[in-house]
Amino acid sequence: MGKPAIAVRGLRKSFGAKEAVAGIDLEIAHGSFAGLVGPNGAGKTTSLSMMTGLLRPDSGQVLIDGLDVWADPPAAKAVMGVVPAEAQLFERLSGAELLEYAGRLRGMPAGEARSRSAQLLDVLDLTADAKRLVADYSTGMRKKAALGCALIHNPAVLFLDEPLEGVDPVSADVIRRLLTRFAGSGSTVLFSSHVMELVEQVCDHVSIINKGKIVATGTIDQVRNGKTLQQAFIDLVGAKAGGEEGLSWLGSSSS
Amino acid sequence: MARLLVQLKLRLLTNALRSSTGAKISFIVSTIFAVLVAIGTFVILAALRGQSAAVDQTAAVFTVFAFAWLIVPLLAFGLDGTLDPATLALYPLRTRPLAVGLLAASATGAWPLANVVGLLGVTIGLAHGVLGELVAVLAVLLQVLFCITLARFVITAMAGLLRSRRGRDLAVFLVIPIFALYEAFAQVVPRMAAEGKITAETFAGIDKWLRWLPPGLAAHAIQDASAGHAGTALLRLGLLAAVIVVLAGLWIRSLGRALVRVDTSTQSSAVRGRPLPFARSGIRGTVAGRYLIYQRRDPGSIVRWCIIAVVMAAASVSTIRTPHYHVALIVSAIVGAGILGTFNANSIGLTGPGFGLEASALTGARALRAYFTGRGIALALIAVPLMTAVSFGIAAVAGHAADGLWVMAIDLASIGAGLALSSIFTVSLAYPAEKRVGSPWPRPADGYGGRSVAGTFGSLFGVALAAIPVILAVEFTHSVPAAVRVPALVLCAAGYGLALAWAGARIAARAADRQLPELYQLAVRSKL
Repeated sequence: MGKPAIAVRGLRKSFGAKEAVAGIDLEIAHGSFAGLVGPNGAGKTTSLSMMTGLLRPDSGQVLIDGLDVWADPPAAKAVMGVVPAEAQLFERLSGAELLEYAGRLRGMPAGEARSRSAQLLDVLDLTADAKRLVADYSTGMRKKAALGCALIHNPAVLFLDEPLEGVDPVSADVIRRLLTRFAGSGSTVLFSSHVMELVEQVCDHVSIINKGKIVATGTIDQVRNGKTLQQAFIDLVGAKAGGEEGLSWLGSSSS
Repeated sequence: MARLLVQLKLRLLTNALRSSTGAKISFIVSTIFAVLVAIGTFVILAALRGQSAAVDQTAAVFTVFAFAWLIVPLLAFGLDGTLDPATLALYPLRTRPLAVGLLAASATGAWPLANVVGLLGVTIGLAHGVLGELVAVLAVLLQVLFCITLARFVITAMAGLLRSRRGRDLAVFLVIPIFALYEAFAQVVPRMAAEGKITAETFAGIDKWLRWLPPGLAAHAIQDASAGHAGTALLRLGLLAAVIVVLAGLWIRSLGRALVRVDTSTQSSAVRGRPLPFARSGIRGTVAGRYLIYQRRDPGSIVRWCIIAVVMAAASVSTIRTPHYHVALIVSAIVGAGILGTFNANSIGLTGPGFGLEASALTGARALRAYFTGRGIALALIAVPLMTAVSFGIAAVAGHAADGLWVMAIDLASIGAGLALSSIFTVSLAYPAEKRVGSPWPRPADGYGGRSVAGTFGSLFGVALAAIPVILAVEFTHSVPAAVRVPALVLCAAGYGLALAWAGARIAARAADRQLPELYQLAVRSKL
């Protein structure tokens, strides 16, 4: 087996006394469509930020396509695309200008950036809104525009943080199809989510993170171990049960 | 309901004291200012005792307070959690008790109390006799009630608008006339007073029309009662009370609408589908193009450029028509460039989460140098023509239009220094900026006020220091023929400014390369 698309070793990050990521190890093969799932506050966003060179880790190593993110950031950033949780866009640019800007920032010639931008906007169903300011875009449109920015330079590895959070089913379907096609071409996708159905549907590899540690990793079948992914996740992460006795007043039978 | 909303307001105020140090400090500073305003207003109004123009000046002070109540909530909308009726829209509340509650909540706090206490200065300055004193207290209470109702009505009518992007954009432009008015008061009024152009008669003239406005009614009612004209005094107070009732009625109606209606002013707009400018200039041109578009489309940027022009003009007012007019020209050029540096001393923080797109694409001192030079080119493309034009304008007002040529040299050197310092401070003093809900102007996030102050003073003093060689060159070359002196000065100053800006971009790029993730983490915390 060749070098993995994403290799994470001993990644740690603390904020004051709180250890947000407590030493994670992860390997994602080329062409994988991988999911990183975990409850809120488990360390998903912190981990992805460190993997993409946007948050300095306390210790550990991240290799993207064999390139060390923290030793050689320019080389590593050139082969990855990032879609952050909160679509971080330039609100006062139009959709077309935004994608062109993203392409040109990656060193692409202006003509090519414009032509790729037009093609991506078309696939993302944003052509009709290409001249509107991003500030006036809906959540789904913003996510799609952010995805376009992340894909315009055709990265080998794509990171997405909660890509379908707050997105309507139609936009979600557009994003899902584009990602599936991207991974199908041999590129690698790693995305974080807490929607198990989505991960079960599209991923071939899943890692479960809880309290800053990877508690399970492998193919979908390995991790769910005969159960649904939802059940396997709850078993691994642990669900808070009980406490409903005090709500005797709740419901139509009482006042 | 009134009690509950007053408790909510008090809880919000006490929570501010328990929260972060920054919020605590701003709360304490605001309270100290309120106390100072109360004492100052009380003393000013009390000192009017026995003066012939006492009622005219009292009417003017009452009107200024009403104006402040009208304007401040528009600028600071969102600071008071009880201001926005939308936060209460989910609860089954009838409009009338809700209105009373919101009014009571508005009247709670240091500033309303400071208003009442300060305006009670009229009991010494204007009122005489028992009837006069009684009417004075009543008039002050009605005046404060009028101010609160007026502010409530305007803020409720505009709440939907202020929550929308387009509305906030429009609100930003309010800053320009307010700032210009402030500058006029701060610069022109003291000068006119010193020259004897503002006298008691001036106030009498203003009072001719102020007396018919609600604040004027309150002031004149006190004088009427003190002069024994109880009937006229009560008639005036009755008229004021009627205005308040009508305003409250309008407010309650707009409140009813605001709870169930969304703002429709934000219709999405399309921009012209032109490609980004500077297509052949690599990352430098790409960044310059983006910055240039933002200077045009971001209302905050437009306002900042207008403020630079206003400040340059204001800085020259005191000496422009004197033999020392050249001091005015030099000071306005330096202050203008200092403000340019100040406004751009946190470019990354003001870019906000969008910087993530740039941070994930740009790495290495070379790319970042292109980033900072691109930013500098965009700013210089506006700063140079704007600021030299203002300098020429000021020189023309001084009656020495040709002097605009040597001022151009100081402008160019100062702009270069301003850009250099803003690049360096953008990295070394970066901070997250927050535009609170509805507030048009971003402020430093809690705990970062010190960086903002350091950036402001650093830019102003730094530009002044950097301009010294050019000022000296201007001063010591008077004997050289203008045909040689002016081109030499302008060319040398342009080269000097360019070198400063380039060095600033280089220093900033090196520093940014070492701390790009940290800069990104600060930018991503900005709420714009």
